[in-house]
Amino acid sequence: MLSRVVFSAAAATAPSLKNAALLSPGVVQATRIFHTGQPSLAPVPPLPEYGGKLRLGLIPEEFFQFLYPKTGVTGPYVLRTGLILYFLSKEIYVVTPDTISALSTIGLLVYVIKKYGGASIGEFADKLNEQQIAQLEEVKQATIKGIQDAIDLEKSQQALVQKRHYLFDVQRNNIAMALEVTYRERLHRVYKEVKNRLDYHISVQNMMRWKEQEHMVQWVEKHVVQSISAQQEKETIAKCTSDLKLLAKKAQAQPVM
Amino acid sequence: MNENLFASFITPTMMGLPIVILIIMFPSMLFPSTTRLVNNRLVSIQQWLIRMTTKQMMTIHNKKGQTWALMLISLIMFIGSTNLLGLLPHSFTPTTQLSMNLGMAIPLWAGTVILGFRHKTKASLAHFLPQGTPLPLIPMLVIIETISLFIQPMALAVRLTANITAGHLLIHLIGGATLALMNISMTTAFITFVILVLLTVLEFAVALIQAYVFTLLVSLYLHDNA
Repeated sequence: MLSRVVFSAAAATAPSLKNAALLSPGVVQATRIFHTGQPSLAPVPPLPEYGGKLRLGLIPEEFFQFLYPKTGVTGPYVLRTGLILYFLSKEIYVVTPDTISALSTIGLLVYVIKKYGGASIGEFADKLNEQQIAQLEEVKQATIKGIQDAIDLEKSQQALVQKRHYLFDVQRNNIAMALEVTYRERLHRVYKEVKNRLDYHISVQNMMRWKEQEHMVQWVEKHVVQSISAQQEKETIAKCTSDLKLLAKKAQAQPVM
Repeated sequence: MNENLFASFITPTMMGLPIVILIIMFPSMLFPSTTRLVNNRLVSIQQWLIRMTTKQMMTIHNKKGQTWALMLISLIMFIGSTNLLGLLPHSFTPTTQLSMNLGMAIPLWAGTVILGFRHKTKASLAHFLPQGTPLPLIPMLVIIETISLFIQPMALAVRLTANITAGHLLIHLIGGATLALMNISMTTAFITFVILVLLTVLEFAVALIQAYVFTLLVSLYLHDNA
């Protein structure tokens, strides 16, 4: 049946081979192509979670169900007892030292399994598997979280980019203000310099005029002093002395009153 | 009685066909190999045990020695499983045959020695003389060390064979004693049965310990010679 599937698959994928395959069955066998499509085993079916039910750890439950219609519930147990007695009595099974050691070994095993086995080992194995899965799950979650964080960061940065124009406006205003300030500063400096130069000329003029005035006053004083003759000086001094005597008499007279 | 005693150690044949090969290959069926990530309980437990053993055994080696990991772990798994299966009644244990143990010990030991001589010749030759020996003793000590070196594979094989064989024989004998005493006096038979149970516990331990010792010694020889 499978060869038919392979044959049709081969015919579908390679039309040229179809003509060659029609020649003879031997050629078909020789030119059969394997593994052309999806592997027939995938996806693998999941394993059953629990094994079949057992009694006495060895005998499947189906055997008991099989004997139930004819012999009821006690059938298999009676069969067990009968078989054991038959084998022992007919010496089909000979009691040897091996029997005693078998008793001790199997008894020990059953005791240990009943005491420490059962559900606890199953839980231990389940825990192992769970740990492995949890580890991988953690890695997956951590990766997802990391990627989510990266996405959030990217989004927030994109939002920030939208608001960048505020920053540029503020910067533009700052620069304009700085330019304005510099311009006014320079204007003021120019004004001061010009005023300085003009003040210089004014002060030079003022100084010249003052110097001329001084010079003229001194020249006039010098000539006046020169023009005062000796005789005029004597007369003036005598007059001043008589005036002072008069004033002294007037001044003396008044406090007596 | 004599024939019966050693009957369990003869090469097993079924209708004239030697099936000892099948018996040796049987334990490998008990360790399933799987390609899944999450396995059933048996495989999970086995993988956990093997990982634990590997970590315990292979950490002392350097990079070159760790290439022997597969060999050593399969060795301990094989010897352990065959020893444990041999404790079941009416079973055959391959490790009771000296031929098989020699076949395991000599190639492994020879491999470590030859490896040591090829890669670290001076150090390997230096093993023949322990440190700090007085001068007159040197020739004798070299001879003694050489003999001890060549005894190693013999000791490995004979140790394993003797332990397992002795254990099986004791179990058989004490079982026979219990059987014989059952007709004479029940209490003595019961005491003997208790001894047998204790012996069985010992044999379970010995089965595992011998596997461990064998592998550990090979690992030690490997560590010396890397």
